[in-house]
Amino acid sequence: MVRLFASLREQAGWWERSLAITPDYPSPTPASLWPHLGLGAAIPPQVRVAVNQAFAALDQPLQSGDEVAFLPPISGG
Amino acid sequence: MAHPSAEERPLQLRLHPARFDPLSALADWQRNLTAGGAEAPAAEAHFIGRVRGRTAHGAALEALELEHYPGMTETQIERIAAAISRRHGLLAVRVDHRVGRVLPGEAIVLVAVAADRRGPAQRGGQELLEALKHDAPFWKREWCGGVGTWVEGNTAF
Repeated sequence: MVRLFASLREQAGWWERSLAITPDYPSPTPASLWPHLGLGAAIPPQVRVAVNQAFAALDQPLQSGDEVAFLPPISGG
Repeated sequence: MAHPSAEERPLQLRLHPARFDPLSALADWQRNLTAGGAEAPAAEAHFIGRVRGRTAHGAALEALELEHYPGMTETQIERIAAAISRRHGLLAVRVDHRVGRVLPGEAIVLVAVAADRRGPAQRGGQELLEALKHDAPFWKREWCGGVGTWVEGNTAF
């Protein structure tokens, strides 16, 4: 499952997508998902990644069932 | 009675989808701290943040919209609070944060920490607030003249 938030969701026009790990896309990482989903050539430096609701590295290998989120710059508090 | 550690008395966290009263929240937390006859902590530091009536560009603000990541936002605040509590030896932590549409003047965040000394209380409270602003997944959108603009980053310290 891939999720987008705030400005990223509105730019892409979707907020949640399911993706299967298939033989033609066997070893996904957040970095490879970004272009695979048509979000752009590479993840912009200000975008952070979470896997299963914890911050993660862009090259973290993904497993079936993982929840990946792309997070635009945080502005809380 | 000895003070329980922050591990024994975990973070109290509330995400409010509607307006909340930070002073009532604080009173609720303080009642909880002294429940069962426990001695009140010697030092507390509190911060209340309210929505200012101007956008980042100086225009009159209609409202601020706060989006969050249900599940991760709560988990991330718990992680942040646990790490800062350990680092500063905090006795207890309370965080209230608004989500949804927030009007100018309304409270958006309350951070309260308890410690045995003023130094850890003030340093821990400040560190917690800054960590919330940078590492807890919330996103602000300013509404002005019916147009919403996502805020990228935080206001000046």
